[in-house]
Amino acid sequence: MAEQPWTERFRPRTLREVVGNEEAKDRFLEWLRSWEDGIPEKRAVLLYGPPGVGKTSLVVAAANDLGYDLLEVNASDYRTAKRLKEILGRASTQQVTVTGRRRLILIDELEGLSGREDRGGVEAILDLIRETRAPIILVATVYTSLREAWERKLRELMKLSLPIELRPIPVVEVIERLREIASRVGVEVEEEVLEELAIRSEGDLRTAINDLEAVARGRRRITLQDLEALGLRDRQLYAEEALRRLFTAKTLQEAKGIISSTQLNYDELIDWIYENIPYILDDPRELSEALEALARADIHKARAERSQAYRLLKYMFDELAGGVALSLERSQGLLGVVERHLRAMGIPLSLLKLEERPEGVSIAPVRYLGGDTWRRVNMAVRSLGGSWDREGRRWIVGYLRPPRIALRYWWSREKRRMLKSISSKVASRMHISTSRAVRDVIPILKVIFQSDPEMAEGIAEWMELDGDEVKWLSKG
Amino acid sequence: MSSEMWVEKYRPKSLDEMINQEEIVARLKRFVEERNLPHLLFVGPAGVGKTTAILALAHDLYGPDYRNYIMELNASDERGINVIREKVKFFARTAPIGDVPFKILIMDEADSLTADAQHALRRTMERYTRTCRFCLIGNYSERIIEPIQSRCSIFRFSPLSEEDVKRCLRMIAEKEGVEVSPEGYDAIYEESRGDLRKAINLLQAAAAASGRRVDADVVYAVLGRVSPGRVREMIQLSLKGEFIEARELLRSLLIDEGMAAEDILRMIYSEIMRLDIPERLKVRLSDAIGEVDYRLTQGSRPEIQLSALLAKLVLVGEEMRGGGAALD
Ligand SMILES: Nc1ncnc2c1ncn2[C@@H]1O[C@H](COP(=O)(O)OP(=O)(O)OP(=O)(O)O)[C@@H](O)[C@H]1O
Ligand SMILES: Nc1ncnc2c1ncn2[C@@H]1O[C@H](COP(=O)(O)OP(=O)(O)O)[C@@H](O)[C@H]1O
Ligand SMILES: [Mg+2]
Ligand SMILES: [Mg+2]
Repeated sequence: MAEQPWTERFRPRTLREVVGNEEAKDRFLEWLRSWEDGIPEKRAVLLYGPPGVGKTSLVVAAANDLGYDLLEVNASDYRTAKRLKEILGRASTQQVTVTGRRRLILIDELEGLSGREDRGGVEAILDLIRETRAPIILVATVYTSLREAWERKLRELMKLSLPIELRPIPVVEVIERLREIASRVGVEVEEEVLEELAIRSEGDLRTAINDLEAVARGRRRITLQDLEALGLRDRQLYAEEALRRLFTAKTLQEAKGIISSTQLNYDELIDWIYENIPYILDDPRELSEALEALARADIHKARAERSQAYRLLKYMFDELAGGVALSLERSQGLLGVVERHLRAMGIPLSLLKLEERPEGVSIAPVRYLGGDTWRRVNMAVRSLGGSWDREGRRWIVGYLRPPRIALRYWWSREKRRMLKSISSKVASRMHISTSRAVRDVIPILKVIFQSDPEMAEGIAEWMELDGDEVKWLSKG
Repeated sequence: MSSEMWVEKYRPKSLDEMINQEEIVARLKRFVEERNLPHLLFVGPAGVGKTTAILALAHDLYGPDYRNYIMELNASDERGINVIREKVKFFARTAPIGDVPFKILIMDEADSLTADAQHALRRTMERYTRTCRFCLIGNYSERIIEPIQSRCSIFRFSPLSEEDVKRCLRMIAEKEGVEVSPEGYDAIYEESRGDLRKAINLLQAAAAASGRRVDADVVYAVLGRVSPGRVREMIQLSLKGEFIEARELLRSLLIDEGMAAEDILRMIYSEIMRLDIPERLKVRLSDAIGEVDYRLTQGSRPEIQLSALLAKLVLVGEEMRGGGAALD
């Protein structure tokens, strides 16, 4: 038998193996179980969310665990309403199959027919739902950034069914699943590798597992260095190239050319620029103008995405090219930034020799510094992301650093979701508004959950916090 | 074992247990005896017993299953006056069973409603007077429209005294087996003043963080983890020209503390208004903050928008030091 890709090989067979989204899972199962007492009010569930979070897997695992006979179709394979009805019409009128097993209908990849030309398809599905005697599950892949537009489009389907959203899987859960897979295939993987893979996947477990398979192929042990093979290295090179050329561009036209020809996507490009601008522009006015231009570029991009009027992206181009790239005039680049920073930290520059080198700005003591001074310089350099090069007896601050914003922003979105659910529990039990709960009580809860497990346990029970919420509050 | 937050565990059940607010309590007790109530308006600062008083009154009036006779709404969490009216309508539709002919609707943070919403609420209050009494709660009576004020008995709650607060804290500490040094109590009171909710929460966090031995240092350590002092630090760093550090701090506020960008922005605003800088710069910064505030509603990335604002602060700082990059 040909070897299956790991994503298939480790597709969850049981509900227990489907990680994350506990609350959504519970609601889904509750609905499915409600069929045991007759046909419920909502005859269909609409599972939606970004790719690779386990939508299809959840249905397959539930069918397995609860003993359903799964009839699975892809909406996009039956582009005409007539075909869809032919396939599903009869099945949906029977609650059990000829073998006596209960029937479950899965209509996957619904997003394939969300367009206007598929009106008929949507109508056909609406009809099916109204009449079905077997549970129907609709599954749609919806990118978070397009959610609103999408919800508008499928409003009727959402109304007629019970919509359940699956969200990106939290990093810790991705790590755990990867660790389990690694141990089942018998590869030893450094913890940092798992973390890096999990973070990069942005909650998409399929991507994470694919990446793991790609690095693990033919290896027994994986270290962080092996990861570079996966492309971070490439991104870094592209970004270096793009940023270097951008900040030396002389005309708007030239800068736009660079932006449109880079291998990075717009988000990556904005992230890289954002991360590195303060290390390139040391002149306050130039820094301020460039960041403002970047912020405007970002807003143009957001508007384009929200309205799906992609022509608006050209304004983003202009801001990035004209506003950001052409901002560099007086600034001295990283050398200037380092000088300024050391001076601000009260370190006499006469003690050090600063110079630009291919690997970054080098900061070498001109004479023996003594422990205290050395430590002060070291701290200052480290806060710029630099480090001591023992052999060269100097510090090096690299020109570019990879962006952290995507990861961080993602965390904070995750966090906001948690805050919302925890704060509404706090609000109703403590007789305060949710915003006061966030401001005044959640910080208190965090202190408690991070220092007194016993007290925390009691409170968790009282507030009926779920596992994700407890984990979140307990995280440092 | 399930256990409540201390603020709830030690919330007085009955009016008799209330700390201070003596006149108010006496008047409320009379209502209980008469088994009748006007509409009520409670005003006063946070954590002084407003919610407690109405819950205790309901308890004394209806008995232990008083929850069946009241509904609590928080105006700042409800989506618009129409939703509120629907809920009230549903709640007040029927008279309660028993010897009290009305239910009580508690509307917290009523002073956050717009004047229009309050007018709409007033009509609703009138319509259901037969079966429902309203207890409106807020911080400022000036923010409640005249016509509502004139239909309610107004009760003004005052902050609790240092003695009251400390006595209450001591009682809780004793029951929970927490040792607190005198300086520990001072530190808690210093931060919370007459807001007993804040004081009790702080005591509980400090107890948790110290294995139940609280002194002033423990309290300050807890405060460092919860207070908005970090926003101030971020602004100061920016003004000093330390943009990179300021951005790190911003990240930590967004990520580690999970603060919403809007909240950070609000704090930045109030800090800046307090800064000792030329007024015209304040106006200019206020304009910039307003712009960021709007952009946040448009789906742009909060961190980038807030960073751009920090960079403007760097520029202001530079100007004030008389640097070359003067703002025009
Ligand atoms: N929650 C999860 N628990 C365990 N494994 C998962 C989970 N989510 C995804 N996977 C892994 O990723 C693979 C793909 O998952 P699945 O097909 O369920 O994704 P999906 O959400 O339906 O994505 P799409 O929207 O692209 O169809 C699975 O075979 C499994 O290996
Ligand atoms: N006057 C008081 N008597 C007793 N406890 C009080 C008093 N004021 C506040 N508290 C305590 O503080 C907490 C918050 O009080 P609460 O009545 O909810 O404040 P608010 O005035 O903001 O509505 C209560 O749980 C209670 O433990
Ligand atoms: Mg799928
Ligand atoms: Mg209250």
